[in-house]
Amino acid sequence: MIGMSTRHILLGLLATGPSHGYDLKRRHDERFPQARPLAYGQVYTTLQRLVRDGLAEVDGIDSDGGPERTMYRSTKDGARELAAWAGEIAPPAPFVTNEIFAKVVVSILSGGDPEAYLRAQRAAHMTRMRELTAVKTARGTDLATVLSADYALNHLDADLRWMTTTAARLTTLTAEVDAG
Amino acid sequence: MRADLRLAWQLIRGSDRREWWRVGLTALGAALATGLALAGVALSSLDGYVAIPLAHDLLNSPRQRSGVVFSLALLLIPVLGFLGQSARIGAVHRDRRLAALRLAGAAPWQVRRIAALETGLACLLGSVLATAVAVPVLLSQWTSPTAFAWAGMTLVALAVPALGAATAALALRRVVASPLGWVRRVRPARRPGWVFLTAALLLAAAAGLALLTSWFNRPAALSPVPPTVLALTLVVGTAAVLLTGWSSGLLGRTLAARAQRPALLIAAERLRDDPWAAARTHGAVLLVTVIGTGFVGVRQVLLAELHVMSRVDHLGMDMEFYTTGLDLTAAAILVALGLVLSALAVGTAESLAARRRGLAAQTAAGVPRGVLARALFLETALPLAPAVAVAGAGGMAIGAWYTTVTTEYTVHAVPYVSLLVPVAVYGCCLLAAATSLPLLHRSVRPAELRYV
Amino acid sequence: MSNTKGGAVPLLAARDLVKAHGRTEALRGASVELRAGEILAVTGASGSGKSTLLHCLAGIVRPDTGSVTYAGERLDRLPEKRLSELRRTEFGVVFQFGQLIPELTALDNVALPLLLAGVRRQEAWERAGEWLERFGVRGQQELRPGEMSGGQAQRTALARALVTGPKVVFADEPTGALDSLASEQVMTALTHTAREAGTAVLLITHDAQVAAYADREVRLADGTVAPLEVAA
Repeated sequence: MIGMSTRHILLGLLATGPSHGYDLKRRHDERFPQARPLAYGQVYTTLQRLVRDGLAEVDGIDSDGGPERTMYRSTKDGARELAAWAGEIAPPAPFVTNEIFAKVVVSILSGGDPEAYLRAQRAAHMTRMRELTAVKTARGTDLATVLSADYALNHLDADLRWMTTTAARLTTLTAEVDAG
Repeated sequence: MRADLRLAWQLIRGSDRREWWRVGLTALGAALATGLALAGVALSSLDGYVAIPLAHDLLNSPRQRSGVVFSLALLLIPVLGFLGQSARIGAVHRDRRLAALRLAGAAPWQVRRIAALETGLACLLGSVLATAVAVPVLLSQWTSPTAFAWAGMTLVALAVPALGAATAALALRRVVASPLGWVRRVRPARRPGWVFLTAALLLAAAAGLALLTSWFNRPAALSPVPPTVLALTLVVGTAAVLLTGWSSGLLGRTLAARAQRPALLIAAERLRDDPWAAARTHGAVLLVTVIGTGFVGVRQVLLAELHVMSRVDHLGMDMEFYTTGLDLTAAAILVALGLVLSALAVGTAESLAARRRGLAAQTAAGVPRGVLARALFLETALPLAPAVAVAGAGGMAIGAWYTTVTTEYTVHAVPYVSLLVPVAVYGCCLLAAATSLPLLHRSVRPAELRYV
Repeated sequence: MSNTKGGAVPLLAARDLVKAHGRTEALRGASVELRAGEILAVTGASGSGKSTLLHCLAGIVRPDTGSVTYAGERLDRLPEKRLSELRRTEFGVVFQFGQLIPELTALDNVALPLLLAGVRRQEAWERAGEWLERFGVRGQQELRPGEMSGGQAQRTALARALVTGPKVVFADEPTGALDSLASEQVMTALTHTAREAGTAVLLITHDAQVAAYADREVRLADGTVAPLEVAA
């Protein structure tokens, strides 16, 4: 989930009603199961920035027997900002940051074995795809998990196909890199 | 036009083996048709009494000649049936190719013309070959043929390919209608429409009329009977086509619900799904069965009658004169049977070839070849059994009826020997269907799994 | 992920298979093992010999040289009659399409292997119906293959392959003609059933997402098994 904005996601979660930091983190991890889990510190700093920019405000303190927790809610500006962001298209791959390609080129430049590297990378990709498929097809998996696993699987598959065609064209690439 | 011709030629040249089978068999059928028509034209161009040293003077008098000409014309029916069956070889593939031509931007009339040219070329080949054989034969028998004979023969040699092309264009009217329409599926055959039925009835009526005016110059006691026999036979034959299609469907539905054995189940479901697939071929088989059974009965009665007549010295000609006529008729019926059986064999082989990928998949899945072979065999054997029985009964009825009306010189026993005919025809059909079994062994090779 | 991991005797093993179609060699010394209950994906580019390998392993074709051993029996030496019986009883096959008889209904298609095994029609129908229900095609059991969607037809084909309780299912591009959702349903149905029943699956595919349903992968390149990782 490249380029995902934590501020907007938190604003989105706040759109259902006031909530505190720990609850937001829990709901985030639940809603986006295959994404990297949010650190609590990150939630806290993001919330403070939202308050600073006038997109969210403190709703009150909720103690409810346990430790005191600051409740936050979205403002009108926040709702407007959220609607604008959700409707805005995600820029399709503005910069190609392809670590695998970089490694192949570096490997050619330094006289390494790019073919062996691609093979090993392919095996690692396949292992991860098998894991994700197992998660996805386990009985009783909820749709959110299936969909996020699918998203990852499709991206890994794209990498894999790219690696397959690259491996088939390594000779030409080597000649080109060496000549340059 | 020249571009279409070139394209048609390229399509024939670049086509696979099955297409060559179609071209070859179409040419063969065209050659037979041309040969029959040429013989007919040559005979009918003769005027008055001519001494012809063939067939025990049977061809000498004009009335008998017209009878022979009419028999030759009747023989054209199975030949045309055979041609129709040949045209179906590789039909699925050809239909796809024509649809591809349409997709590539060809107009319907262009596609129709290309296909017609393709068939026309094959027919031309056959007609040229037949003419090349017929002309020297004619010259060896007849030193100076009349201009009328030459004109007639030229007309026949040209008409056969022209008619072939026209028929192809007509037959493909549905295929070329849409670029996508028929591409996807092997379409089930349709039951014959009212055009076919009307044509068959008209033909029967015409045959009756034609025969009332000219037939063998026989003693007066026999003359009105044979034409009636023939008209009846044609009506029974038409009924046979309907019967076989209808009984295929009924048998399929009945057996499919009850079958315990896999081969029977597969055969029954195929019949249920496409009962009219083989109706035309089977109809032709039945027509030959009716004629054959009837003929054997009539022949027995006639011969007995002739023997009595020769004893009391009532015969106008030699005994050989009459028996040669009967023998020639028998030969014509046998030729018709041979053609019909070839059409049946071709039809079975084609239906198998069209399904070869599916059959290969079944074999790969462990369905024994024996089961597939039995299913294929039953597909022909099942619907033919009741139909041939009814046709045999029809022919038998003709013979028996002939017995009752021919009582002037002696009383005849019912000619039960003709019951052997349907049995023999049925046996021959099974053999014809069995000729495609070696093809099954070739078809189920796993190599077929690779292709669509 | 190495090819020869595990001490157990493989259920099905091919050694040094060579098979030529005319002048082109489809297999040039391929060796592969399938353990009982394992789902093995065979991947590779088109023309790498995947289908020919499956045909050899399933006893559909005989290799020119090399051996195929199934449960201690040399498949490459068995007579065709016994091979056919083996394919009918111990193996199941699923192709990209075409393995269903177009004239038979879904129910009859699934019942066919049982009928071939001598099961009575009524009982065969009941068992076939259960399998169709399991794969979510119960409502379509009176349809013929031409009347079903691609996904339904493939699930019917799966039911037909599994109805006899085979030891091995051979699947050659079973999702090749399907969209990704139908493909997911077919693959989930196949792998769940195979894992529950302990059926081994040899899965031919060029699609990594399909190969990811397997426990293990073998890659073919130019008719031989390509190394999956860096040689140790």
